[in-house]
Amino acid sequence: MLPKESYDDLITANQAVAIAVVRAKPKVIAVYPISPQTPIVGFLAQYCASGDLDSEYVRVESEHSAMTVVAAAEGTGVRTFTSTASQGLAYMHEVVAATGGMRLPVVMFVANRTLMSPGGIWPEYSDVMPERDTCWLQVFVEDNQEVFDMIIQAYKIAEHQKVLLPIMVCGDGFILTHTADTVEILSQKDVDDFLPPYEPKHAFLDVDNPLAQGIIVPPEYHMEAKYQLHQAMRNAKKVIKEINDEFAEKFNRDYGGLIDSYRIEDADYALVVVGSTVSTTRIIVDALREKGEKVGLVKLRFFRPFPVEEIKELLANVKAIGVFDRSLSYGSTGQIFGEVRNALYGETKPILNFIAGLGGRDIREEDIMTMFKKIIELNNKQPEDPIVFINTRGIQ
Amino acid sequence: MRLKDLSDRGLYVSGDSACAGCMAANIAINIMRILGKNTIGSVPPSCMSVFGSIFPKLNWDIPYFHMQFSNTASTLTGISRALKVQGKDDDIVVMGLAGDGGTGDIGLQDLSAAAQRDENILYICYNNQAYENTGIQASGQTPYASWSNTTPIINGHIGNPNFPKDIPRILMAHDVTYVATVSTAYIHDFISKIEKAKNMKGFRYIEALSVCTSGWKVPSQIGPKLVKEAVKTGFWILMECEKGKLTLNKTPEFAGLKEFLLKQGRFKHITDEETKVIAKHIKRRWNIYKSLEQANHFEE
Repeated sequence: MLPKESYDDLITANQAVAIAVVRAKPKVIAVYPISPQTPIVGFLAQYCASGDLDSEYVRVESEHSAMTVVAAAEGTGVRTFTSTASQGLAYMHEVVAATGGMRLPVVMFVANRTLMSPGGIWPEYSDVMPERDTCWLQVFVEDNQEVFDMIIQAYKIAEHQKVLLPIMVCGDGFILTHTADTVEILSQKDVDDFLPPYEPKHAFLDVDNPLAQGIIVPPEYHMEAKYQLHQAMRNAKKVIKEINDEFAEKFNRDYGGLIDSYRIEDADYALVVVGSTVSTTRIIVDALREKGEKVGLVKLRFFRPFPVEEIKELLANVKAIGVFDRSLSYGSTGQIFGEVRNALYGETKPILNFIAGLGGRDIREEDIMTMFKKIIELNNKQPEDPIVFINTRGIQ
Repeated sequence: MRLKDLSDRGLYVSGDSACAGCMAANIAINIMRILGKNTIGSVPPSCMSVFGSIFPKLNWDIPYFHMQFSNTASTLTGISRALKVQGKDDDIVVMGLAGDGGTGDIGLQDLSAAAQRDENILYICYNNQAYENTGIQASGQTPYASWSNTTPIINGHIGNPNFPKDIPRILMAHDVTYVATVSTAYIHDFISKIEKAKNMKGFRYIEALSVCTSGWKVPSQIGPKLVKEAVKTGFWILMECEKGKLTLNKTPEFAGLKEFLLKQGRFKHITDEETKVIAKHIKRRWNIYKSLEQANHFEE
């Protein structure tokens, strides 16, 4: 049995997810093995069997069914959990979209992995990017502690009456999921106080109060339903910040809510980064600062809802910007770059899009160094083509 | 439960937009007269989801969940597990009602998985033997030599060149709690099976033959007659398999097959040769079921 009190442990992100799920007490779990999240599937089966977790554990035959089971269970009024990666997320896509549209506050961990082709099991964000328009909140995490903390916060955000949207917590496959790091496990009591049992007040399946979910809505009524989804996403921005602040006050870890930054206040040059690459970038920011370069980083956490105002504010005083993308919308730009440049519409600051780490290619310190060098070398001039492939054979 | 005891007003209420003579609507009406209020229902995309649940109209007076084409069994699983963990599973029936394509083609994977886990759900298939909702395309359960938009009668083609999948037999191979087939023409058998399934726990599957007037190309009034003749000719077998024990409920006369087929526009081209092939297939299928019924599988 897991200790009920608070303790520190050296664990992988997969373990951190599973223990956070124990603390959050979902009532129905449906999971299907796919690398690199498979260990979660096993951990949760064990926690359900050992009595650590009092949940229905459904050994589904596919990710499509995993998402269906948790969505239907959520629609029947209980807290749920699932996790997946890559092809698994693509396979469940149609149900992912239905779940967002039905405002079912499912929490899902995605161990980011490249989507074929070419095939691969290593980190990339090409799995979650195609889900950006399915009305799910999407948050990227940097390390195993943030994984644990965000799973707990995710339930509170998703189930908030002003939000009621599903959320995917996105963590780099292998770099986080298979690498052990020290994580403070919050006590059961602390988590219970922060995240009380789920009591749905919205529509759910109840024989004494028959309601329908997911039915066909013709054009005469359709637009209003979709407008409400957009409103819920907008509402989420404030709720995310409030819940972040409450968490920070209680547990002394402040992630900034939608977005965070490092040494950006007086920076001339900024790199917008996500995921575990933020940690590497912090080191490089410090190294370049020691050399007198005024650099800083913006850590993008939430991709949906996208923090437009916050990005504008953080980048208001820099001279040039680089945006890191670990995926690419072929024929356009990296997806995060597209969002950042959109947020900065009307400004003329030079901006570059660094495509790096595709298919799990290592993002080394020298690669981050190269990115900053290229931002500085712009000399306040807008590049002809913003896209720069990093550490790619045949590309300068 | 006797026919005269069934409520006139079921929980599938009037005013749907099904075609005149649609047997699927007839099946839904009768099922809901038997299942009653403590039912949660799910219908995947199909004729039924279109004619019975377009906002702001809803013909189901029970909680109703509409998901995708292929995941009815998983939807029911999620509902059923959520009820169980809340201690509400004792007297609530979790019922799905899907077409033959949603059941035996695109929905077969999660149906098989839910069956294998013996989920506490009642899955009912209304089998009208084609993708009728999308405009009559052949499904895995379309009969041999039947016309459809994807099995045309042209240039020597005979219509559907394949035999239909036997979903009850596939599910029996999963060792589930209950598998049965019904025809609304045999309403006492229908009531008894739906009622039995209602009161059981575990995975229950019932398949009902459903005439589609536009897909089968028949006049709107002859559906009830056809689902009776289907049983008499052996085209549709009435069976039930309860915890591994198979019973055949009605022995066919194995007569009048060609007349039965020729009443349906989808078979109007049928030759004696093709009729013989169908007759042979009917007999073989019956023999398989008969041998399963007669064998004592419980001998130690």
